[in-house]
Amino acid sequence: MTKYIVRRLLQIIPTFIGATLLAFLIIQLTPGDFTDRFALDPNADAAQLERLKQNFGLDQPVVIQYFRWVLGILTQGYLGESFTYRSPVADIIVPLIWNSLSLVVISLVLTYLLAIPIGIYQAARQYSNGDKVLSFFSVMGLAIPNFFFILLLIVGVLSFQAGLRQVAQGDAWYKPILNFFTYDLRNGLIFPVGGMRTTEVYDNLNLWQQLVDRAWHLVLPTIVVTTSGLSSLVRVVRSQMLEFLKADFVRTARAKGLGERIVTYKHVLRNAVGPVISGLGTILPELVTGAGLVEFVYRWPGITPGFVIAIQQQDLYVVMGLLVMSALLLMIGNLLSDLLLALVDPRIRYT
Amino acid sequence: MQPSTTPIPEPVVTTEKAVRAQSRGEIVRGQFRKHRLAVTSLWVLGLLYVLAAFADFVAPYGESESFFRGEIDRSYAPPSRIHWVDPTTKSLTFPFVYNVSSQMNLDTLEFDFSEDTSKPYPIKFFSQGTPYTPFPINLIPIEWRNASGINPQINLHLFGVDKPATIFLWGADKLGRDVFGRILFGARVTLTIGIFAATLSLIIGLSLGAISGFYGGWVDDLIMRIVEVLATIPSLFLLLAMRALFPLDAKSSVVFFVVVLILGLIRWGAVARAVRGQVLSLREEDFVMAAKGLGARDSRVIFRHILPGTASFAIVSFSLLVPGFILTESGLSFLGLGISDPNSSWGLMLAVAQEGGMQTFTSRPWMLLPGFFIFIAVLAFNFIGDGLRDALDPKARR
Repeated sequence: MTKYIVRRLLQIIPTFIGATLLAFLIIQLTPGDFTDRFALDPNADAAQLERLKQNFGLDQPVVIQYFRWVLGILTQGYLGESFTYRSPVADIIVPLIWNSLSLVVISLVLTYLLAIPIGIYQAARQYSNGDKVLSFFSVMGLAIPNFFFILLLIVGVLSFQAGLRQVAQGDAWYKPILNFFTYDLRNGLIFPVGGMRTTEVYDNLNLWQQLVDRAWHLVLPTIVVTTSGLSSLVRVVRSQMLEFLKADFVRTARAKGLGERIVTYKHVLRNAVGPVISGLGTILPELVTGAGLVEFVYRWPGITPGFVIAIQQQDLYVVMGLLVMSALLLMIGNLLSDLLLALVDPRIRYT
Repeated sequence: MQPSTTPIPEPVVTTEKAVRAQSRGEIVRGQFRKHRLAVTSLWVLGLLYVLAAFADFVAPYGESESFFRGEIDRSYAPPSRIHWVDPTTKSLTFPFVYNVSSQMNLDTLEFDFSEDTSKPYPIKFFSQGTPYTPFPINLIPIEWRNASGINPQINLHLFGVDKPATIFLWGADKLGRDVFGRILFGARVTLTIGIFAATLSLIIGLSLGAISGFYGGWVDDLIMRIVEVLATIPSLFLLLAMRALFPLDAKSSVVFFVVVLILGLIRWGAVARAVRGQVLSLREEDFVMAAKGLGARDSRVIFRHILPGTASFAIVSFSLLVPGFILTESGLSFLGLGISDPNSSWGLMLAVAQEGGMQTFTSRPWMLLPGFFIFIAVLAFNFIGDGLRDALDPKARR
């Protein structure tokens, strides 16, 4: 196992070099020099420009610039300076990454928690009505664009608004029940329709209320991101399970008189779970991308809105930093899924 | 020499109809037809493509023709009500619409549209309207058309009404532009970008995958490492960063090709990897040996002998790549980095709809229609892809 881990860790190095090189190349090809924006800006901070020039050796050949940039990331976590915010890139992108990560990780966990039982159910009752209905939903989920789905949810919540608002003003007997379930009775909303927290009141809330507020804001985007990952993962689980349900060793297990539960979970699932775990490598980037557009609609201060703003303002170091950091996160995700796979499947660690 | 006089034996005519062997194409087509959803999807998409091609004719107004702040103000006008019953005689008549006027509603601070029932405006079929260049000719860039002097304009539309009345089947957007028409014009962009980008990434993926599998060694290593690196950066961010290489305010026709290029360049990895796997086994086949033995060059062996063997994979992955690209393109336009106003694309239409503020979405649900079209197009392509995969797979015969 140790040998496998070491080998797998070493594989990260070429990928990291490749990803940083790609990010660097893209930025190098972007029209205009790094310092152009400073030269044009009358309020430019001369000290910051000097700092950039020194740290990155902007007057030196491109190859040296690349190495200094990568070394800066590896040794000090220094990603450059933002032109727009006049501060180090790391200060700007770290909160963005945390915000996105909270959404993506929660959705990822939910995706796996839901996909495996649903997939097992569908495979165990292939072609039953339940299977058909669920398959139908996963096909729909694959076809609906994330940004459209969140828009629909928001419109749905808002159309409830009018009715709820009337109740909030009156004194209906069910008002306490609504009060309990409604996030914001003042506006008559069941769920918030944007942002990460209720900015106006957030600071006055106690810790528990702050947590609830945050969780309440997470609901709609999590639904959208989770369903998008779910639709593809359920299909993987289902087809994997179906493949192994036909296997000879399953027939043997049944012939020995084992119960259906043990056959399904101990014999079939254990063998079928491999591609589901390695599916993390494809699900994770999908979720990050999918969450991106949701963040944009929902005004969630995550990576993608920051990225779009950085591109519109040609804030090149922010773009480069976000590219590298997101690549790094995916590499960690892939690493975790490979290690998990090796843990579950001995055939992998001994080859 | 005498011609042989032995009579040619007459073929034995049996009463049963001779069983003719089916060609592979016939089998595949037969299998595909059994996939009912796939066939329906093919018809739906076919209809969408025809409507997109003849959008100028089908839509009553031009792509960027707006009724905003002028004599006729139709900002966020709801879908026109089409009347069939004559108000005086109460009998069925030729369909007509009324002119509408807008008043500010002081409670909601929005414009309410009310009908002016004094004069009916009958819907005219094959009416005269905004001039346009008809379909096959408008594919030629306008500069070439002007240079050669061939720039015919016609103003025939499928339907329309006399001004000042307007007909908006699916309402109007903020600038008073016909949503129905703009969905058809947007289909041109959204439905073709997917096809072009899928073609490009298929070409790159097939060639690089074949080269990688055929030669092996360091070429293989290099190509596979590039594939890995591309898979490491989330495609949306790669797309956005590459979009930054090109001016953000470029003309829509330029942006179209830029987007095709970028999309094609980021999604070939999976194709290349799968093709490489197939080529690894194909290159050991006898027919490849034979071709090499006859002295064929490597390029001939790869492109004439090996790649045709991956044809069914290529067809299926093409039809499954297209919906992904449609989604990505609409996402990019939605973020404001794709096709830009006054041209239209489904993603852009949703983005523009969203700008009006979420709160007002509920009063203008027709602005959400482009989203349903994205959904339908992607769904249809997915079904066709599934149908093709089953039809081409001998194991899945029904």
